[in-house]
Amino acid sequence: MRKKELKLIVTFHTTADAMALEKAAKQEKLKGRLIPVPRELSSGCGMSWKSEIEDKEKLLAVMKETGIELEELHECMV
Amino acid sequence: MNFTNSKLKLALLGVICGLVAVALAIFGNPANMAFCIACFIRDTAGALGMHQAEVVQYARPEVVGLLVGALLISVGTKEYKSTGGSSPMIRFVLGLCLMIGALIFLGCPLRLVIRMAAGDLNAYVALIGFILGIGTGVIFLRRGFSLGRAHETSKISGGVITILALGILALGAFTTLLKVSEKGPGSMHAPIILSLIGGMIFGAIAQKSRMCFAGSIRDVMLLKNFDLLSIIGGFFVVMLIYNLVTGNFVVGFNTPGIIAHSEHLWNILGMYVVGFAAVLAGGCPLRQVILAGQGSNDSAVTVIGMLVGGAICHNFGLASSGTAINPETKELVKGAVTTNGKIACLICIVALFIIALTCKREEKK
Repeated sequence: MRKKELKLIVTFHTTADAMALEKAAKQEKLKGRLIPVPRELSSGCGMSWKSEIEDKEKLLAVMKETGIELEELHECMV
Repeated sequence: MNFTNSKLKLALLGVICGLVAVALAIFGNPANMAFCIACFIRDTAGALGMHQAEVVQYARPEVVGLLVGALLISVGTKEYKSTGGSSPMIRFVLGLCLMIGALIFLGCPLRLVIRMAAGDLNAYVALIGFILGIGTGVIFLRRGFSLGRAHETSKISGGVITILALGILALGAFTTLLKVSEKGPGSMHAPIILSLIGGMIFGAIAQKSRMCFAGSIRDVMLLKNFDLLSIIGGFFVVMLIYNLVTGNFVVGFNTPGIIAHSEHLWNILGMYVVGFAAVLAGGCPLRQVILAGQGSNDSAVTVIGMLVGGAICHNFGLASSGTAINPETKELVKGAVTTNGKIACLICIVALFIIALTCKREEKK
């Protein structure tokens, strides 16, 4: 089994917000990808954005610029 | 112990759900309808007198069990959250589409898997439509489809559907107000208490595992993630073993007893509607019931849409008939899709495209 690492997980109110961040992150060449929301974070079945913890500020800046609203920010082992 | 952190454990949860379905079939539910959300909600609509199809009227305690199971476990784990306001009337229409599509195929995605495990080739044909429908939904998700976000509502609001369902259960158990089929699938059922407990176990596990038939394929397409699919895999394997052991595994089309028809195009289109509508609504019929149980008013509206859809299907002759043996002549009578059903299916597809094209996430100006 793949070893779990501490990552930054961003959850959203809607799937569309998650998809929008994926697009914006790609344009800004930010690393990371969409994954199902980790079960321990939510009983919902939406998507979340997983990236490196050090990219947090850059990610927040992109979200502010593009008007993507986040639900919660987590640091967890995934 | 965390039961949701590996595919193997998730598959195990699917196995338990499969065992519940098998047990209910053994104790009286129609074998290949052991656990079908669309059929159960349609039967419940019949019991309430919303439609007059005499063979499918019974307030299925399994639906109540699913709601109660999801509610109790979500309250216990502090995950219960009453939310609402994400385009409820569009969700109502999606509920109608889910039910109409399911009753043209004759089963929700859960029953699709049960039928596949019984060797029914029609279900494999319909799976193509289901996957295409999910694929279409995924294309629109990528284009920014959204019904808008839900907000927190008053706590009790999220529990209303479960309270109402318990009311229906009480009416069924203690009064003669509800209609009960004397023959046909509606007359075949496990004892109330077993159905209720079975539903609660299924509901609690489905809440815990986020089991979803449409979501599992959506996650594979969109995220290359196989977690949710592993639950369905576990469920399928149990049903397959049960059918093999009991001799219920019969490969073929037009198999009497399965409650299915072999109109391939309409099996595909029926499940296409279900797959498409499920992705737009954010979950298959089972998932909608579970989300409703854990407090989503939006999913509760979708479930009400399915209930009304069940009534519409039988009042307007949209539901298909299954292949059966005529008891008098012993001849095989092929199941068929009705003309009204075909028209309704096409209307659903048009409606789904309109919804998918018009509901988009607002971008920052």
